[in-house]
Amino acid sequence: MKNTALLFLLAGCISAQAGTLTGKVSGGRGAAVVYVDAIPGKTFPAPAKHLVMDQKSLLFQPHVVVIQTGATLDFLNSDNVAHNIFWPSISGDKKASHNMGTWPKGETRSFKFDTPGVVPLLCNVHPEMSGYVVVVPTPYYAEVDASGAYKIDNVPDGAYTVTAWREGMKAQSKSVTLSGTAATDFAMSK
Amino acid sequence: MRLRVVRFLAPGWVLLPVLFFFLSINGRAIPAFSRQYQTSCATCHVDFPKLNDFGKAFKDAGFKFPKDDETYLKVPPVLLGAPAQKDVWPKAIWPGEIPGLPPIGLRYNTFFQVTSGNRNQFNGLAAPGTVPQFIPATDFESGFFSIFTAGNFGSDVAFWVDDDISVSGDNGAGSLGDGYLKFVNIGRVLHLPKDSLTLRVGQFELDLPFTQARTYNLSPYDIYQESNIGAVNALAGQQNVANQFTFAGAAKGIELSGGHHYGGYSYSLAIIDQNTSGVSQSSNTSPFVPSATGGANGGVGFASDASAKAIYGRLAYRFNLERDKESRNAVQAAGATGPRDHTYLNIGTFYLGGRSRQAFVGATADAAQVLLTAREPYYRAGGDFSFNYRKLNIYGLYMVGHDKNLLPADANGVPIMLPVSATGPVPVSFVTSTAAKFNGGFVQADFLALPWIMLIARWDGVNSSSDRINGFTLANGTPYFAPLRSTRNRYTPGAQFLIHPNIKFSFEYQFRPEQYTTVLTTASGLQMAVNPFRVNTALFGLEFVY
Repeated sequence: MKNTALLFLLAGCISAQAGTLTGKVSGGRGAAVVYVDAIPGKTFPAPAKHLVMDQKSLLFQPHVVVIQTGATLDFLNSDNVAHNIFWPSISGDKKASHNMGTWPKGETRSFKFDTPGVVPLLCNVHPEMSGYVVVVPTPYYAEVDASGAYKIDNVPDGAYTVTAWREGMKAQSKSVTLSGTAATDFAMSK
Repeated sequence: MRLRVVRFLAPGWVLLPVLFFFLSINGRAIPAFSRQYQTSCATCHVDFPKLNDFGKAFKDAGFKFPKDDETYLKVPPVLLGAPAQKDVWPKAIWPGEIPGLPPIGLRYNTFFQVTSGNRNQFNGLAAPGTVPQFIPATDFESGFFSIFTAGNFGSDVAFWVDDDISVSGDNGAGSLGDGYLKFVNIGRVLHLPKDSLTLRVGQFELDLPFTQARTYNLSPYDIYQESNIGAVNALAGQQNVANQFTFAGAAKGIELSGGHHYGGYSYSLAIIDQNTSGVSQSSNTSPFVPSATGGANGGVGFASDASAKAIYGRLAYRFNLERDKESRNAVQAAGATGPRDHTYLNIGTFYLGGRSRQAFVGATADAAQVLLTAREPYYRAGGDFSFNYRKLNIYGLYMVGHDKNLLPADANGVPIMLPVSATGPVPVSFVTSTAAKFNGGFVQADFLALPWIMLIARWDGVNSSSDRINGFTLANGTPYFAPLRSTRNRYTPGAQFLIHPNIKFSFEYQFRPEQYTTVLTTASGLQMAVNPFRVNTALFGLEFVY
């Protein structure tokens, strides 16, 4: 009983200090991600849990995966055909290119993403296959829903740089000061 | 020579940016199967239409993914009957399906040709009083516009039809290429190993070691174009051989086949119509004997010119050379940076045998008029290899052709001069004389410099003594005859560039050996050719499929 009361008290304290960032992303179509950029002086431990990017029916599924810097992504091949995964750059940095090789159906290869940025995934035998890993520096991120809206909860009050990314569009960053709640919209363009 | 080459190339390079501009406006690659699977041409092709290992497996499987095809189809097929209808059979029609989208592909190509400066030296061969043909130095040329459709009707029944709607800009010059149904893996009914027996029925290119009908080269393999026409010059020994069969033409019949073209054994055995006279089906009609359909379903005329059928067989084995067994046996090898075609050595052999029919109005020993028919056994046989290592593919083929030569003879057994004259001696029998033979082949190397650039070098050679003899007297009909034992040979370097996966720019330069333009008759009466020269050709091509 004492422990439960302590938990309620702690939760109340956290909710008092954390706010919600909302807004809309317009311009372009397809998956979009909004995230809080790196916060000077703060580091966030990477989640231990692996996320999965599948190759199934000649598609990357899901098309976009968002993970935190330092997290590990498992690349699974669920197809009966051979696949490969490589990326020519991370956010345009060609030195960060990497080829994962090839592996058969049912097997997985993992990669730990230590560099934040957008990783365009390609398959060198199926040129039409396209996927993205968006590596974000903080745990404060959200994927935009079908209406273009996003909502990032539990963001501590403060001043941040918030970035929106959408496939085929230029990434866009804005300064946001959060005190309880804040709303920021993004109009994406090529 | 180097300067001459540069001079030939120059107009083409000037032209390139213009042609690139006009054709680069085309969008993504969407050939016939791309629509169904929403995948790129590169899934099945290296420099289309050259197949990669996956494309070979796709074709072997009856235009399906080798495993779990339905999971890759982005456009679900239309069911022509519920699958459970199978349980009711034979009291119901066995259910099938058709592709959800009509699997139609279209292909168009256009060319620019530059012919060397001595191209009009043949003018001296024109008959006195006639105006010789003029060969232009540069020429824009229309290729073909063709439609093709292919896919699978379920139950492993595959189909393919392609037709050249227009050839050389002439809508009337096109024709059906292949049109067949393929019953894949029918061996399962007989409990044979998977993929060991497949049946194909219709009109199709024979299971040649290297396809001509779907070649990616600008110019054909010369040996595939070779028909065996016997010598007509009486001074050199006449031959009563006029076999128009070539491997370049489509065959009509049935074919049994099995195995895989991406590894291990493969074979085919075809029984096909025999038509060595070259007569077309539509014109081979009789006012007295109707063909079966009477034209109601398009089946006008008779496709064969003989009752006997020709037989074609091929046997090949491909050794995939990867050390890892799992990779070796897979459709594609597992490379360090992704799946790739296997390192392999493929060796094969092929044989075609038939009897060429030659008929004359002759007489019996007691002078009664009779139709004399010679059925001259002929064969085409050869071997082939293909070696692939990473981006390099070297392959080649050698073959021989042999037609027995049965000359019409008079009552004394003396051969009668051809063509048989209405006023000359009447043939009453045939005598065997020197067979008409030819041999030759090609060797080609493809190097994939980049995924979109393929460098090509090829050597073609065809040796036919009868062609050489005929060339002396029929120079206009056989423009490319050459020194003794070498009727035609050429070296053809080239390069092909994929502008998009479905748009390609190709170039090749055809070096030809010395040829002769003037025919002199020696004191002994034998005709000889003098004044050697060569015609070389630079050829630029643009094509797209969608």
